[in-house]
Amino acid sequence: MSTAALHADSHHDHHEHKESFISKYVFSMDHKMISKQFLITGIMMGIVGLVMSMIFRLQLAWPDEQFGFMETLLGKWAVDGKLDPNFYMGLVTIHGTIMVFYVLTAGLSGTFSNLLIPLQVGARDMASPFMNMLSYWFFLASSITLLSSVFIETGPASGGWTVYPPLSALEKAMPGSGLGMTLWLSAIALFIISSLLGGINYISTVLNMRTKGMSMNRMPLTIWAFFFTAILGVLSFPVLLGAALFLIFDRSFGTSFYLSDIYLEGVGALENIGGSPVLYQHLFWFLGHPEVYIILMPALGISSEVISTNARKPIFGYTAMVISLMGISFLSFIVWGHHMFITGMNPFLGSVFMILTLIIAVPSAVKAFNYLTTLWKGNLRFTPAMLFSIGLVSFFISGGLTGIYLGNAALDIQLHDSYFVVAHFHLVMGSAAIFGMFAGIYHWFPKLYGRMMNDTLGYFHFWITFITAYLVFFPMHFMGLAGVPRRYYQFTLVEDFNVWMDVNKLITVSALIGGAAQLLFLYNFFYSIFKGKKASANPWQANSLEWSTPVERLHGNWPGEIPTVYRGAHEYSRPDREEDFFPQYIPDESAPEVLHTEDHKVAPEEKSPEEVESSVFFAAIKRVFGLS
Amino acid sequence: MFKKSLAVLSFILAPLMLLAADVIEPPKEFSFANYDWITIMIVVLVLLIVLVIARAFDIGALTEKLSGKKVVSWNNVNAWMAIIFIVAGLIGVFYELQVHGPLLMLGNSASLHGETYDSMFYITFGFTFFVFVVMEILLFYFMFRYRYNENRKALYYFHNNKLEIIWTIVPSIVLTFLVLRGFTTWSKITTEIPKESQEIEVFAYQFGWKARYAGNDGSLGNQNFNFISGSNPLGVAEEGQVTELVTELKNEIVKLEALQASAPDSINAWKGAYDRFVATGLDRTFPEDFKTLKNKHNDGISGAYVRTLIKDIGRKRTALNRIAEYRKDVDFFDGTANDDKVTTEIVLVKNKPYIFKFRARDVIHSAYMPDFRVQMNCVPGMPTQFAFTPTMTTADARQIKNKPEYDYYLFCNKICGAAHYNMKIKVTVVDSDAEYNTWLASQAPLVAPVVVEQVPAKTDSKNDTTAAVKTVAMN
Repeated sequence: MSTAALHADSHHDHHEHKESFISKYVFSMDHKMISKQFLITGIMMGIVGLVMSMIFRLQLAWPDEQFGFMETLLGKWAVDGKLDPNFYMGLVTIHGTIMVFYVLTAGLSGTFSNLLIPLQVGARDMASPFMNMLSYWFFLASSITLLSSVFIETGPASGGWTVYPPLSALEKAMPGSGLGMTLWLSAIALFIISSLLGGINYISTVLNMRTKGMSMNRMPLTIWAFFFTAILGVLSFPVLLGAALFLIFDRSFGTSFYLSDIYLEGVGALENIGGSPVLYQHLFWFLGHPEVYIILMPALGISSEVISTNARKPIFGYTAMVISLMGISFLSFIVWGHHMFITGMNPFLGSVFMILTLIIAVPSAVKAFNYLTTLWKGNLRFTPAMLFSIGLVSFFISGGLTGIYLGNAALDIQLHDSYFVVAHFHLVMGSAAIFGMFAGIYHWFPKLYGRMMNDTLGYFHFWITFITAYLVFFPMHFMGLAGVPRRYYQFTLVEDFNVWMDVNKLITVSALIGGAAQLLFLYNFFYSIFKGKKASANPWQANSLEWSTPVERLHGNWPGEIPTVYRGAHEYSRPDREEDFFPQYIPDESAPEVLHTEDHKVAPEEKSPEEVESSVFFAAIKRVFGLS
Repeated sequence: MFKKSLAVLSFILAPLMLLAADVIEPPKEFSFANYDWITIMIVVLVLLIVLVIARAFDIGALTEKLSGKKVVSWNNVNAWMAIIFIVAGLIGVFYELQVHGPLLMLGNSASLHGETYDSMFYITFGFTFFVFVVMEILLFYFMFRYRYNENRKALYYFHNNKLEIIWTIVPSIVLTFLVLRGFTTWSKITTEIPKESQEIEVFAYQFGWKARYAGNDGSLGNQNFNFISGSNPLGVAEEGQVTELVTELKNEIVKLEALQASAPDSINAWKGAYDRFVATGLDRTFPEDFKTLKNKHNDGISGAYVRTLIKDIGRKRTALNRIAEYRKDVDFFDGTANDDKVTTEIVLVKNKPYIFKFRARDVIHSAYMPDFRVQMNCVPGMPTQFAFTPTMTTADARQIKNKPEYDYYLFCNKICGAAHYNMKIKVTVVDSDAEYNTWLASQAPLVAPVVVEQVPAKTDSKNDTTAAVKTVAMN
């Protein structure tokens, strides 16, 4: 056993010397480098998505204004500085696709699962570094394919990021459903391959490559979150691939999976009969709903870790947090129908989905309460990462509560596809997840680049982004309640919507300011990579394993043996320790794993009933996953 | 290994690049004056200012370090910002409730089930708003109260089962209540349909709506998408219209077949014209014409032109065959459609139950009437419905909203193409049957009224004509 480990070590040391520029920076198989590649690509895609949203926000706020620079930028899509309605739809679609898949799925999971899973479970690299590298390159190919669709003559896919057929299936239905849609589908197919390659890797690394002593119940919550996220992705993305393939067949090979009884202006009655557009929606949302949690859960995991570290407190209710994540993951597979209450689905089915959906509110509420209790009586260090995590909790509360309206089939009649939905998901999944991503970047920047980011700029970045995000999305609730539909190119044609023009302007101005604030982040990020203050090995006095690695990047992570883990990752401010942290990898035989202070007695030998309960739970998990 | 992955990638990317090379237009000639340089310079200026600010902070941090004194205690600033944020935020929320609350349609529902809807909404609002305010206040208060203090150690407190059980059970109970309430509301709205409800067909197409009312016989006739034509936009099963369509389709097939026969000649002609354009330099003088020509030429030599023709002919033949099939079924053309009225406005009578039957012609649309709390998708190939009873006339709504011009509308609320934002139909609710009848009488039926009156008397001869038309169709 030990010889095998030694052999592996020497192999890694040997490998270290061979790194050339290409193998170190381009076709790297080191999980840390791949994570940086994902991060930078994700940031670039994020900028594109953000700029797109600013362009269509300008259109919404000043529909009659002529913006000369738009014609400069967009050419025939903004003749005389007025945005073309077709291109508006294209922008909305590509903005959604980029943000959901490219930034918040690949940019977030790809970066932090890659960076943290091996480092926090104590592995030298991913289970399959080669597959990991392929995962990035498929992602890049997919990004390029998607972006290229913006530059073609007929414009990008423009049926909304959900690309419902028949709109997306019929080339004649709108210009974006031509080549743009083909490119969208190719991009998504490549993306799914990337996501699956990554996900399989994450799952196998977490299950098989944990270091000595790193039992499942000692893993940081980040790893639990990435683990469940990967499981969701592996189970649900293939269904989207199926949906996309059927769509490709309908578009190019004359099948009728999603098409029936269609008459198109200028074409006549189509031959297709027998298909159902609703089938696509079922398949799409079978991915689409887990996707929401694929986006959110890594952010929740990151914020758990960051809040615990910076509150100098153990995360409250570790087991409850894990069970909540597990419950959310399971439930996310059986609630997709709440996106389809008014598609003409059988009303009884609607009732079932409503009940299942509202159950999700329970684990989500538990998580929110646990965050609050973790902050309670803590000693909060306001690092930018901590601020972004608190911002995430705020968004999670305010955006999550509106989910109770939308999950209710009766209330959804009025709110479906209105601005209320836009407000809801931009808060709970958009803003919350992007804040989780920012928290992760600020927190693990020292691990990524061996340098520190500037805190002051981080504070400005946080407060401006936080306030403007609320100013952008909060008023949208009211527009939605007044019955303003989303994805409208302009509102001025409906007399009654004109009262919202002022609000629209407020939203757009806030969005522009918020967008400009990201420049502070970009400057801070790229400047600090080269010129930032040199980081120490454990700058946040954190407990988890990644801070035991050297500051300088090393293929193989630890120069010597991988450290052994002695306790959970969230043991902060223990009364029996002088320092307020107690790293997982520090051996101290005299110290019990968990200190029971409730009855002011330290009793390491005796296990409390709760602990027995939790160990029974973990034993069950281990049995399920076939772990020893 | 790297070569392998490169090969895989280039294999994927190469066809895409080829595809792109064919499609991307070369940039138009650059002209300095065409560009809005002022805005671009402003953007550059903003970027520079941000950079300068960013540098200033760096220098500030440096001076702090050099002098050893903290100029700003960010710990306190952030803590106080939390308090300012939550206070200002809550004031903002209440301000918005004051200003925008009255703009919401909630409370002024114009339909019977809308009142049930609104009460459901208010219960949910009461509960969630309370939780929202309490939790946000706690969050930012904790942020302020427990800000860093080097003399303090955080409380080592990692779980409390009693507490956790309480806050699992309490939300569960509240949500159970909301679920039950939602379940009854939803079931009531979707399944309790009064028997005497009047049926109105609402038909969606890119980009507009049409409504179909039953005529004097009180029932809507059959329809099929194969019957749709310019003069019969809903594809209603009406003999005259369908016969016309059959003739039209046959003529088109003849025309297309002629095109197919002369395709080699046309392709040659396009090729000749294309070559001439290129040879004489006309392609630069008339770029637009050249582009059209080039497309035709490309379609011609690639075979796409002929393929499209064959496909079109096939599609039209299929339509003809399907129409013929339907025509064999005498019950399908039972004449009930003849007196149906297709309208461009929806008129309803107050306090009468209606059931809207939704159909879509091309893509998915969604019929959205926020005033009535009504929404249902219109799906091609899958009829949907929504039953409701309007309780407030247009005049009432104008009075309540204090807007003399106010009208109810049915909007499209599912992305359906470029003009999605302008796809709506006016809905008018009138007070009495008399007003409604006057309006309906002013709408023209599909077939001239004279024929309608004769239908019951001349059933036999009608069948004869059906048979005659059928034989014509068969030929």
